Formats: sequence, C-alpha cells, structure tokens
Amino acid sequence: MPFFGELFVSEILKKPVLDPKGEEIGKLKDLVIVKGEPLPKVSALIIEKKNKIFKLPWTDLNIFNKRIISANVYGETLQPYELNEKDLILVRDILDKQIVDANGAKVVRVNDVKLQGYNSEAVLIAVDVGARGIMRRLGVERGGEDLMKLFKKHLPYNLISWNYIQPLEPKLTKISLTVPRQMVSELHPADIAEIISQVSHKEGASFFKGLDVETAAGALSELQPDVQAAIITGMETEKAADIIEEMPPDEAADVLSDLPMDKAKEILESIEKEEAEDIQELLSHEEDTAGGLMINEFIAYLPETKVKDAIMKFRRDAEEVEPVYYIYVIEANEKLIGAVSLRDLLLADPDARLTDIMETKLKTVTPDTDEMEVAEIISKYNLVALPVVDTEGFLLGIVAIDDVIDRILPPAAKRKRRKV
Amino acid sequence: MSFWKKIALFLSVMGPGIITANIDNDASGITTYSVAGARFGYSLLWTLIPTTIALVVIQEMVGRMGVITGKGLSDLIRENYGVKATFFMMLGLLIANFGNTVANFAGWAASMEILGFTKYIMVPLGAITIWILVTKGSYRVVEIILLYACIIFVGYIISGVMAKPDWNTVVKQTFLPKLQWNSEYIMMSIAIIGTTITPWMQFYLQSSIAEKGITKEHYKASRLDVVIGCSITDIISFFIIVTCGTLLFPYGIRINEASEAALALRPLAGDYASLIFAISLANASLLGAIIVPLATAYYICEAMGWERGVNKTFKDAPQFMWIYTLTIALASLLVLIPGAPLVFLMVLSAVINGLLLPFVLVFAIFLINNKKLMGEFTNSKMYNYISWGTVIAVICLTVAWVITSIT
Repeated sequence: MPFFGELFVSEILKKPVLDPKGEEIGKLKDLVIVKGEPLPKVSALIIEKKNKIFKLPWTDLNIFNKRIISANVYGETLQPYELNEKDLILVRDILDKQIVDANGAKVVRVNDVKLQGYNSEAVLIAVDVGARGIMRRLGVERGGEDLMKLFKKHLPYNLISWNYIQPLEPKLTKISLTVPRQMVSELHPADIAEIISQVSHKEGASFFKGLDVETAAGALSELQPDVQAAIITGMETEKAADIIEEMPPDEAADVLSDLPMDKAKEILESIEKEEAEDIQELLSHEEDTAGGLMINEFIAYLPETKVKDAIMKFRRDAEEVEPVYYIYVIEANEKLIGAVSLRDLLLADPDARLTDIMETKLKTVTPDTDEMEVAEIISKYNLVALPVVDTEGFLLGIVAIDDVIDRILPPAAKRKRRKV
Repeated sequence: MSFWKKIALFLSVMGPGIITANIDNDASGITTYSVAGARFGYSLLWTLIPTTIALVVIQEMVGRMGVITGKGLSDLIRENYGVKATFFMMLGLLIANFGNTVANFAGWAASMEILGFTKYIMVPLGAITIWILVTKGSYRVVEIILLYACIIFVGYIISGVMAKPDWNTVVKQTFLPKLQWNSEYIMMSIAIIGTTITPWMQFYLQSSIAEKGITKEHYKASRLDVVIGCSITDIISFFIIVTCGTLLFPYGIRINEASEAALALRPLAGDYASLIFAISLANASLLGAIIVPLATAYYICEAMGWERGVNKTFKDAPQFMWIYTLTIALASLLVLIPGAPLVFLMVLSAVINGLLLPFVLVFAIFLINNKKLMGEFTNSKMYNYISWGTVIAVICLTVAWVITSIT
C-alpha cells in the first residue's frame, strides 16, 4: 500500500530513493506509465545512480509520498534499465509537451503532472497547465502565492483533468484533448461535476478550491447529494457560504438539507439575509414535493402594467432570476391571476396591458403536491414552468421543467456511482 | 525537374531566410556599419567575410531544424531542457528584444526627422501601421510586404555606387586587409559580428519556417533561401561601410548614429545620397520594429505552448497578439518621452543578447545532433567541426563585445 494522497511530479523528481536500511539507491529520474482503468498509472520508477539507470517496479515500493520514497529491496537487486522508445515515460514523454485541443489548436504546455493515490496505485489524475505549475518547477510556488496574497488574490490551480486527454501513445510529440479548447477554459459545470464524481472526495474538494465561485456553484448542483455534502462539509464555512449563495435557492436548499444540522445552520448564518430567508422557506418543504422542487424567485407584475413597461422592467429584473419562462401577473395582494409567456409579451402591442394578453386558465399546484404529479401536469399540458400557490392562491414559487427532469432522469454525474 | 519548376518551387519557399537576414540590418546594425566605415574606412570590410560564413553556418542549422521538426527553437528548448532553462532565456530575450525594438523606433524617429517629418506624428503612425499589418494580415501577405520592403535595402547599394569609391582599393582592402592593433579597431570588428549574429534571428527564422510549413522535400530550396539571405545582408553591410568609408572617412567625420551619417552625407554627396540613406534607414528601422517584436511573441508563445502565428486572430492566439501589441506600444511610447533612458536600454539589450547567444547556439547544436528529433538530418561529422568552431569563435567574440560595451 505505498501511496495515498496526491502530489505533483515535479515535487519528487531528483529525490533520493531509499532502501530498507535507509541507504540511497539512487535519485528519481522518471516514471514509467502504463494504461490503467480508469486512468493511466505508474508501473515503475526509473532511478539514476552514477550515470547508470535502473528500474524499480511499483510493487517493490514501500513508501511513496512527496517527502519519502523508499523501496523494500536493495540496490544490488535492481534491473538496469535502458531508455527505449516503446515505454511511455512521464518526464521525457509528457512533461513540457504541447497540448492541442480536439481541433489541433495549441492550448498550452504540460507544466506539471498530478498523481493521485487510487487503490494503492499512483494514477495520473490531471495535468497542471497554469502559472502555479511553472512556479513549482522554478521552485517559487510558495513565493508566488505569498505575492498574490499581498494583492488579496488566490493563485489559481489550473488543472486539466486526465479525462479530457486522449489515450497516450509512446513516441508522442503532442498531447491531444478530446474537446475543443474553449471547453477547457470554460468547462461546463456538468462536465466538472462528472470529473469530480469520478475522483475521491478529497481530490474533489481540492479541485473545487481551484474553481471560481460561480463555476463551483454550477458544478455543485450537478452532483449527487452525498458528494455535495462531503465536499461542502470539507470546506471552510465562508467559502461554502459563498458558493451556496451563488446557487439558485432551490438547489441551495437541496444541498443544505443533506448537511448535518449545525453545519447547515452555520452556513445559512454567513449568507446574505434575504437569500437565507428564501432558502429557509424552501427547506421547510419535503424534498419530493412541489415545494421541495420549486424555486422562489420569479417575475411577477401587476395586471395594469403596460407591455412596453413590462419589457423594460423585465430587462432589469431578469438578471437576478435564474429561469424565466413566464411573467406572472399578480394582484396587489400577491394573488396569482394569470401568466404571460415571453413570446406573447414580445409580440403584443406595446401599449396593451398585461391583463389584456394574459392567460388566466392557469394550472397550479400546492407545495405538498407529489413530484410525480408535478411531472405529469407539466408533461400533459406541455409546460416549461408550473406555478406553486398556497391554498388561498398566493404565488409561492415556480417549478421549472429542468428541475423536474433532473428528478425523473438524474444527470450522469448524479447517476454514476462514484468509483472511489 | 525543369529549370522553371525549380524557380517556381524556390519562389514559393523563399521568404523566411531572406527576410530574417535582411532585417538583421536593422537600426542598430546600420549604425554599427556606418560608424565602422566613417571611423576606419575600408579597413574593416574583411570582417564581413568570416561574419557571413558564421551567419550561414548557424542560420542553416536553425533553418534545417525548422524544416525537419516543424517546430520553433523555443518549442524544442522547452521540450528538451525543461522549464528553468526556457524561463530564464525567455525573460532575457524579452528584455533584450524590447531594447532592440526601442532602438528601431528611435532609428525610425531619427530618419523621419531628417526627412522633415515630426516624430510625434510619424512614430505613432509607423507603430499603428505595423500593428495593423501583423494583427490583421495573413502570414503570406505580411511576408510579401516584407520581401518587397527588403528591396529598399538596395538603396544602400545605389548610394555605395554613387559614392564612386576606388574599387581597386576596396577589393584589395577586403581580401588583403591591413589589420590595426588598437583597442577601438578590435572593438569595432567584434561589434560587427555581435550585431550581425543575434539570438532573436535564430528563433524568428526557425519559427517562420515552421509556420510556413516547409517540408523535408523542399529543404534544399529553403537552404538556398537562407544562404541567399545571409549573403545579401552582408552585401548591404558591405555597401554601407563603403559609402561611409568613401565619403566620410577621408574628412575624418566621426559619427555615432546612422542618422548622423545621413546628415553628414548631404554636404559631401548631395541631397540624393542623404535622402537614400535616410529612407533606407527608415525602412530598415520599421522592418526591425515589425520582426523583433514578432520574434518575441513567437518564442514566448512557443515556450508556453500558446497558439501563435501571424495567420491567427486575437481570439485564436490572444497571448501572441498581445505580446506583439504591447512591445510595439511601449517601445514607440518610450521613444517619444523626452529624457527616456534610451541609450541605457540599448546597451542593456546588447549585453543581454550577448550573454544569451552562447546558450542559444549551444542548445541549437545539441538539438540538431539529436537523432530522435532530426533523424537522418543531424549534422555530419565535418559539419559539426565547422559549426562548433564557428560557435566557439562567435561566443568568444561576443563575450569580448559584452565586456567592452559595459566598460
């Protein structure tokens, strides 16, 4: 069981490799990589002593981490190794190589490679393509981070998950990604979630640290509940609160409901008051009911509002509200009386009033309606959003179609069983 | 292959070698040659022969690497020698090339003033023009414009002929030089080599050959391009020295700047000679101001693995375009600021260039002998002797040059 945790390859190069008595066998020169499931793994170390090169199989290792590498065999028993073209060798073949995207455009170079413990093997989890990697190679990573702290900034991790790298062949001159490069810099949250769901909690959490709040929020809501809980629990409350605040209230409520009570409370306290109230309200509903699914952000105007004014107001308000399909029409006392689709709004005479063009025969549900029933109504009437009202007809929130689909047909990252 | 086919092939491959070598005669190059001619007459002409040979040997190797590997020099250095070596080399080259760019804009400003235009209009105008050319133009368009601009260098040949030198003396001094053993003379001869063989050229040549996509089959044509380029550039240098040696040297006129040469020529050789000299200097400076920042952008992007190339847009290759843009913007701005430390910057850039050249050349020789990269196109044993000899000689001279330019 030689390897747990994670490390960057540049951290261990040229480190002494010790025998069971603590004598130096040689210095680490390179790593032999072989195919593995799900990721390529290290099969042997290449060790250099006095200009001679030896191979130390992974199975002969005793300890392997960024401070100590020790073998349970002695130097005399090692096989001499001859560099050849057939083996895939990490430093020679991967480090510093050009990464091109699926269209062949150059993206960046491999500044470093990250290894991760997995079933006591060391797998290649990601390539470092950021400034951090360069600084680490130059031996000034710590200094760079301190410098950034002076400017109150965090030096970001810029890693590309190995998932996005095409299978490596020996003798390669460049490394190809499986996606166009725009996707790497702007990985869709769902893709990030998929990567995270395939790695350990710890790796997932450290991956999260490198993401900006917005991306992290997007990725988090795509994850399976227990992974969400594990990642949030492992985070500092403040950072967690930032991410939760960024999420739509319904999804934030989902995440919080899976957390231990005191942690959830702690986070709620660090969130802006208004946002926290929204979430709290949603938390009071059962998860598999309309109340649990709904989002309590919506756009609602008074019936006398003119179409042109509604459009003007909408432009401003829609920024705050995530999914917008309809504009709801409510009376001054917040009772729901109708809805206008965006299409109808744009096509209507600018001087018409909302009350003239609104649909009044609305399908609504109450918060305790079962989620399957909600799904059936949405499906039957071909809706994209369904208003949730209380028994007196006050608008509480809406259930959007994507949240319903997520319940019936969870996204890949939620479905897939975690491999670790 | 028929003769005409060969010509057509050469014309399609031609470009990188000729442009790189010609732009080697940028503002600082022309200054050195003018000063050499004015101070020592024809007696330094002989230095051009070994310089040309050294230039051909080195540029041929770099060009060959570009053709065979399809990669730039800093691509290869990063992939084979790691981050540390690459990083410090890039940092040094960035500073040195910035200094070179400033020198070129200063040359452009000075020649424009001679021609009667104010630099406060002409420097921004020149900067914007070359910026648009590279950021909006395609590689082929840029190359054709540069090739035509290289023709303006012929101006120096014309002025050399117009000076009516005694060709007998010129030839005799070139091939049977009377060497002088004073420190100024030795310094000047070293300076000629130092200004002719520079680090950025090696990067630019290899990158532009790689971007042009010249293949193994066309390697011979590409080699011809390099050899012709190196020869032309030194023929131009030859005529600059001849002009100044004929017209200025006999009167003992000392100059420190290429633009001073143009001014000094007016009373002695008439308005036309002065005009030709000024226009040629303007042309050379502006070309240098395009190519040197371009070379900087090329090798930094290659080292970091970012997308690069004249054909790309800001969206495809943002870092490439920004490095080019910022170098030009800052350099042209600096030239316009009164009292900016231009001389210091130029000396600094010369020193850094000199310090980097040995590393660049030694890396180049190691790389070209790497079988994994070059296959059957590595240096032959004989060629290795020649190239090592050249490189060691150039290194010794450059180190000497650096020492003299500091003291």
